[in-house]
Amino acid sequence: MEDFTEFQEEEFSTTVTGRTIRRILGLLKAHWPWAAGFLLMIGLVSVLDSYFTYLNKEIIDRGVAVGDMTEVARIMLPYGLLMLVQAAAVFGFIYLTGVLGEKVRYDLRRKMFDHLQGLSLSYYNRTPVGWIISRVNSDSDRVAELVTWGLLDTTWGITNILTALVFMALINWKLTVIVGLIIPVLVVVASWFQKKIITEYREVRKINSRITGAYNENITGVRVTKSLGREEANLREFGGLTSEMHRAGFRAAWLSALFLPIVQLISSFGLGAVIWFGGVEVQLGSMTIGGISAFVTYITLMLFPIQEMARVYAELQQAIASAERIFSLLDAKATVVDRPGARDPGSLVGDIRFENVTFAYDDAPDEAVLSDFDLHVEQGQTIALVGPTGGGKSTIVNLVCRFYEPTSGRVLIAGEDYTQYTLHGIQSRVGVVLQTPHLFSGNVRENIRYGRLGASDVEVEEAAKLAGAHDFIVDLDKGYNAEVGEGGNLLSLGQKQLISLARAVLADPEIFVMDEATSSVDTLTEALIQKGMETMMKGRTSFIIAHRLSTIKRADRILVIEKGRIAESGSHAELLRQGGHYYNLYTQQFREELTREQDPFLAGKVLPAEG
Amino acid sequence: MSAQPGSELISLKQVGAESLWKGMWRLLEGRRLAYVGSMLGLGIAALGRSSVYLLLGFFIDDVLSSPDFAAQVPLVALGFIGLAVVQGFFTYLSGTLAGRTGEVVAERLRNYLYDHIQRLSFNFHDRTKTGELIQKVTSDVDAVRRFIAQEATQFGRIVTLFLANFAALFLLDGELAWLSVICVPITILMSIWFFKRISDAYEDFQNQDGVLSAVLQENLSGVRVVKAFARQEYEQNKFEKENYEKYERGRKLLIWHSTFWPLSDIITGAQMLFGYYIGAQMTISGQLSTGDYLSYITLLVWLIWPIRNLGRVIVEMSRGLVSFERVSRIIREEREPLEDGQASLPERLKGELVFENVSFEYEPNMPVLKDISFHVQPGQTVALLGSTGSGKTSLVSLLPRFYDYTSGRILLDGVELKDYPRRYLREQIGIVLQEPFLFSRTIRENLRYSVGREVDNADIEAAAADAAVHDVVLGFPKGYETIVGEKGVTLSGGQKQRITLARTLLKKPSLLILDDSTSAVDTETEASIRAALKRQLGGRTTFIIAHRIQSVMSADLILVFDKGRLVQQGTHAQLLEQDGIYREVFNIQTMIEHEVEREVASANQGQ
Repeated sequence: MEDFTEFQEEEFSTTVTGRTIRRILGLLKAHWPWAAGFLLMIGLVSVLDSYFTYLNKEIIDRGVAVGDMTEVARIMLPYGLLMLVQAAAVFGFIYLTGVLGEKVRYDLRRKMFDHLQGLSLSYYNRTPVGWIISRVNSDSDRVAELVTWGLLDTTWGITNILTALVFMALINWKLTVIVGLIIPVLVVVASWFQKKIITEYREVRKINSRITGAYNENITGVRVTKSLGREEANLREFGGLTSEMHRAGFRAAWLSALFLPIVQLISSFGLGAVIWFGGVEVQLGSMTIGGISAFVTYITLMLFPIQEMARVYAELQQAIASAERIFSLLDAKATVVDRPGARDPGSLVGDIRFENVTFAYDDAPDEAVLSDFDLHVEQGQTIALVGPTGGGKSTIVNLVCRFYEPTSGRVLIAGEDYTQYTLHGIQSRVGVVLQTPHLFSGNVRENIRYGRLGASDVEVEEAAKLAGAHDFIVDLDKGYNAEVGEGGNLLSLGQKQLISLARAVLADPEIFVMDEATSSVDTLTEALIQKGMETMMKGRTSFIIAHRLSTIKRADRILVIEKGRIAESGSHAELLRQGGHYYNLYTQQFREELTREQDPFLAGKVLPAEG
Repeated sequence: MSAQPGSELISLKQVGAESLWKGMWRLLEGRRLAYVGSMLGLGIAALGRSSVYLLLGFFIDDVLSSPDFAAQVPLVALGFIGLAVVQGFFTYLSGTLAGRTGEVVAERLRNYLYDHIQRLSFNFHDRTKTGELIQKVTSDVDAVRRFIAQEATQFGRIVTLFLANFAALFLLDGELAWLSVICVPITILMSIWFFKRISDAYEDFQNQDGVLSAVLQENLSGVRVVKAFARQEYEQNKFEKENYEKYERGRKLLIWHSTFWPLSDIITGAQMLFGYYIGAQMTISGQLSTGDYLSYITLLVWLIWPIRNLGRVIVEMSRGLVSFERVSRIIREEREPLEDGQASLPERLKGELVFENVSFEYEPNMPVLKDISFHVQPGQTVALLGSTGSGKTSLVSLLPRFYDYTSGRILLDGVELKDYPRRYLREQIGIVLQEPFLFSRTIRENLRYSVGREVDNADIEAAAADAAVHDVVLGFPKGYETIVGEKGVTLSGGQKQRITLARTLLKKPSLLILDDSTSAVDTETEASIRAALKRQLGGRTTFIIAHRIQSVMSADLILVFDKGRLVQQGTHAQLLEQDGIYREVFNIQTMIEHEVEREVASANQGQ
């Protein structure tokens, strides 16, 4: 939660370019009748507002002042009708503007989401999820707000002031000039204040996110605090933070409290001038009493449009920064895309070859993770990848799945460079089980069905049985209908892996990729996972990033990957005989596994899921 | 610290105990006068505004036609400016007073809640979700602040504007005044009716917002799965469905808004036209002067329009009160009495401990420790061995009185443990918890965290060296000034454990508890830590919870736990003699080395 606020604070380049403005207005293009409609409505509303004030003057001058009640009634009839018209226009602009805002939000969210689905994994590696969520949620809100209510308020303000000036000029042009002189002063003062106020509120938000952080630590670290007896010192530090918040919050409140009175005071000079000169004009007979009354109303009502416009102006820059962030997301290019003329392979059955593959991640183009890598895997073989973290094991399987493509060199599947195939054609035929498997909120059945959307309940259960997941699932409270929680957090790590295995079984892929869990899973679940893996590996070309001895031993070939190359390759017995990396790795691993298996305290215990 | 009101810690215990309004009133302590003043300020400002229109009437009736016009008109003009000054000053005054009060109350609540949280019992924290608690102490406190600084004063503003203008109207003509407020009850009822529905629709909309965010969040964090199964289209449809639902709910909310505002415009508009008409009639029939009429029509606007906002303000206020109630519920939770206890407190504990038939349960009838008895001499090292959930951690949690035992007796230096104040015990006992927790600050500050006294850098570094982490820290570019914790550099589990150990050592406790606190440290480093501990803590009673037999072998007393019971106790030599879990564990660990050799040999043969 806090991350989001921090990302929001981040400043984007705020040089307002004409291109950005055009692109923002372009968001309204598809819905232009709505935009035209609400502009028309709000224009009508503000013209009528000014006209009503004029009618009030007419009632006074032509009715009340001369004692003509029928004239009063004659003016009131259209007055009343116009009020109904105005009410209709009010309905119109609220509905049109609001719905248009929702439409723009909806469009932006959809566009961003759709675009995100096409982006490559490299984009996700360098972009935090929180950042993306802020773009989709708050930035789209801010931009939609600008093109709807912001535009509405500005239009309302401008037409209001202009029509008021026209009516005032109709009544008395000299006095209008005096009033007109005040407007620029009001505009400048109002914008200055709004800018200041917004800066203060930004400060408040920043301190607020620090306070939230402090509370977070206060709560998550409460056991430590208590055992160390740090209560007083903690409170003292926190007190510093809250007094800072107090000061910043008060400055914002103070500025807001000062704003209205000052603007009112400025306009009261206008009022004084109207009374003075207006009075003289009335004496001279060039102005009526009703005219003075109308001027008084016009001046009082002029404050609001100016206030609103100043607010929109102050928020403008932030909204444009939001828009630029959104556009930067929409402009991000996918790096792994279908080549022109790419086709569906129909089947991926066949050998897999890496030929002179070099690979470096985008953000570190000089540090090749793999260089001149060659590998030939025969159809149906199981390959176990072992070796230290960062050695390149994950990169190899990511390349097989075509989450990334080689920087140079080729990957051939079934005899052809796989860039000839469509991404969908490859990825729908590769089954992947990740180390920390991701499940979607929903029930177990839905999660397994993710592997093949059209599968029947029977097929889902069949897959779960093959994967060894069925038994634990039926033991769950609601069986296949049990909710797995957000990200699957209601299940243990082992259970999540079993379900993601079942999901992969259901997909019936031609190539199987698995990253074994490093953290301990209880022995029973572990045995089930092994069984599920066996099902998957049967007859399929499989790549396993292996951490368990049993898996390693079962592989047709073991590759020890170190620093981006194959350090050793061969069967279990061959490698042990060599007495090299694998020998060391194996004996160490064996010792650890035995310790864990034999520990009378841990054996058979279900360990809580990690992460 | 600072002279600002609110920064001093006022006990808010009573705030939760009473009714909502009483509690709120108590919260305003020290600011009551200012707050009442702010409301009065609103009233005066409203009167100032009404006077502007009365002055306008006077100007029309008496000044315009006066022979003394030239002399009087500047005075009237000045009068308008003067009234604006009065009105402006009091608006400002009321705004700052209310704003200040809101901030004072918020600060007061924040400080109190922060302190409250760290003084609530372990039981409370065991059953409370972090996210929910944070939500309450941040958003709900802010809602209370808004209630005081804005919503309540807005309500006050509407009421005072109404009253002042009504009074001014009454001055003009009583009958007219009554005729001008016919619409008021209708408008209020209608706004309340509408705003209830608008708030419901808004909540619906917000809920859908949550749903949509969750879909997005899951899609982004599961992006590899989506790609692996090529499910982009399916995901797009899923998002589209929720996205459209949000649009629809937004539209429904807007239908409410767009019906309410014009409807209330029509009602208030009709009232105004009616007023104009009656006013005009009265003026023409001579009951009112032209100036009065002019005052009247402008006053009318300021009488009626604020009423339209009443419904919105009332709904907002009720939300603020709900937040206040949520905050009060936390305040009502009982604190841990840190100082309670009547034992006479020596400067340092000797560390003799006797457990006599101690049982303990977190929840009634779910005992986690059953009938535990043992005796520890001052300065002994006690090792606790047992499976997860066998009660080891619960047992050591009893010593600093994180929880109180349910039955039996624990005697510390011959005094019943419950007679020691919790604060004293926690000062005397150093406990290194299972999960290493570091605060978001520098390593140096983390180490100094618990020490009440001034410590120099040499002490800090010595403690770090004992915990075998000094060299690691020097390896960081910023050394001891490296910021760690949630927002700092990521340390490995072993590094974190060693820093938390150093932190506790620096406290120089008279009794030390290590709860599996070197589990992520490699064997060699662990041995060096053990040696350092022996050096430093010779003569101090020490409890060690560990898994590896090497870590417990040298202990003076080894306690073996199983399912909440103490099943074996004695020294390493004694326990090896007995038939039981201990010997089993020992045998397994020596067996493993043989196994490794055998396995390798067999693989070599099996070629």
